[in-house]
Amino acid sequence: MDFKDYYAALGVSESATPEEIKKAYRKLARKYHPDVSKEENASDKFKEVGEAYEVLKDPEKRAEYDQLRKYGARDDGSFQPPPGWQSASGFGGGGYTEADARQFSDFFEEIFGGGRHGGFSGTGFGGGGFRQNMRMRGEDVHAKLALFLEEAINGCEKQVSFTVQEADQHGRVMPRQKTLKVKIPAGMREGQHIRLKGQGAPGVGGGEAGDLFIEVELAPHPHFTVEGRDVMLTLPIAPWEAALGTTVTAPTVSGKVNVKVPKGSTSGRKLRLKGKGFPGKHPGDQIIVLQVAMPEQHNPEAERLYEQLAELEKNFNPRSKLHV
Amino acid sequence: MTKHNTTLTVEVLDNNGSTFTLREVCERGDCHAEFIINLVDYGIIAPVEEAEEALQWQFDVAALSRLQKAMRLQRDLNLNLPGLALSLDLLDEVNAMRRDMARLEQRLRHLTGE
Repeated sequence: MDFKDYYAALGVSESATPEEIKKAYRKLARKYHPDVSKEENASDKFKEVGEAYEVLKDPEKRAEYDQLRKYGARDDGSFQPPPGWQSASGFGGGGYTEADARQFSDFFEEIFGGGRHGGFSGTGFGGGGFRQNMRMRGEDVHAKLALFLEEAINGCEKQVSFTVQEADQHGRVMPRQKTLKVKIPAGMREGQHIRLKGQGAPGVGGGEAGDLFIEVELAPHPHFTVEGRDVMLTLPIAPWEAALGTTVTAPTVSGKVNVKVPKGSTSGRKLRLKGKGFPGKHPGDQIIVLQVAMPEQHNPEAERLYEQLAELEKNFNPRSKLHV
Repeated sequence: MTKHNTTLTVEVLDNNGSTFTLREVCERGDCHAEFIINLVDYGIIAPVEEAEEALQWQFDVAALSRLQKAMRLQRDLNLNLPGLALSLDLLDEVNAMRRDMARLEQRLRHLTGE
C-alpha cells in the first residue's frame, strides 16, 4: 500500500493552521471539481483532496495521521500501519460531514477504519442497515460517450463502461464497474441523450433499478466539422479549376461523391450537398467551402503563362477591400 | 466487471422525447420538491415549455443531468442557490465557448491545410 501524503495533496506544510488547511482545501476543491475542471485527472485529484481534508481538518485524525506519518512512511513510498493499529477517532460507519466516504482510498480505510462501508455518506447512517429496510429506486447514472462522426451519422455498436454504486450482500455500498454493448442509432448529434432503462444502479428492497443516460459527444474529425445538422468540409481546388469550372471528387461521411465546381469560383464559396449531413426528419446537408490552393513551385513555362495572365488581368486588385 | 454479450438497443431522448414530472425528478434526484421549485425559481433548471392546458411541469433529460450537477456542486462546494445559479450559468458559457473554440480551431486548421 502506498503512503498518502495528505499535506502534499493540499499543498500545505505540516505546521499549517486549520485555517490554512481549510483555505487550501476550498481552493483545490473548486479547481478540481469534476463538474468544473477540464483537467484529465480532475476526478481523482478531487477525491484525493477531499480525503486529505477529511483527515487534516479534524484535530484528532490529524494527530493520528501525523504519528503514522512519522512511523509508517518508508523511503520507497510504501506504507505499513503498525501491528495492531486501531484508530481512536472512531470513524467506522458514518460521521462524515462533507466528503463522500465511499470514494476514499485503501490507505484511508486501513488507518481510519470502515468509513467506506457506511451505507450513506455524510448523513450518519452507518453500517448500511438503513437501506435494507426500505424500498428505494436505484440511482440513475449520467455518462458521456464520444463518437466518431462516421459512427454518429451512420450508427454503430459501442461498448460503454461506467460505475454504479451497488450494495453487496452485507449492505455495503461499493462502486462497481459495468460494461454494456449498446447499439447507437444513426444520426445522433452532439448533446443528444439516449436512455437505457434499468441499467443504472440496482434498486433496494425491491425498488426499481435506475436508468443509464448517455450524452453523446463528437470526437474531432481530421476533415469534417459539424454545425448543427450540417457537416462542413474545406475542399481545396486548383486556380484553373476555380477559373474554368470542373467536376471534382469530394469525400462525404458516407462515401465519395462528384461535385460540380462552377466556373469563376473563389475561395470561401460554399456548395451545398443536400441531405449529406446528419440524417433525420430534417436531414442536414454537407457544406463544401472551396479553397483555392497553389502548387508550391511552377516550371518556367507555367511562370510565363502566369506573366501573360498578369498582363491580361491587370485591372484586378485582390486587395481593393484594404484600400491599397 | 459484468460483461453482457447481447447488444442493447437504446431509446433516443431528443428535445421532443421523453419528459419527467416533478415527482419523477424528485425521485430520481433523491431530493424534495421544494428544492426543485427553488432551482426553477432561480432559473437553474427549467421545465420544458408546455401547451397552456398542461397542469404540471415536465422536465427533459438535460434538466435531469443539470440537477445532478447542481446537487454535486452544492454538496461539494457548499454553494447557496444564487451562487449555484451563477456557477452553472458561467459553466455553461465556458463549455459553449470551449466547444466553439475547438470547432473554430479545427476549421482554421482545415483552412490553412495543416
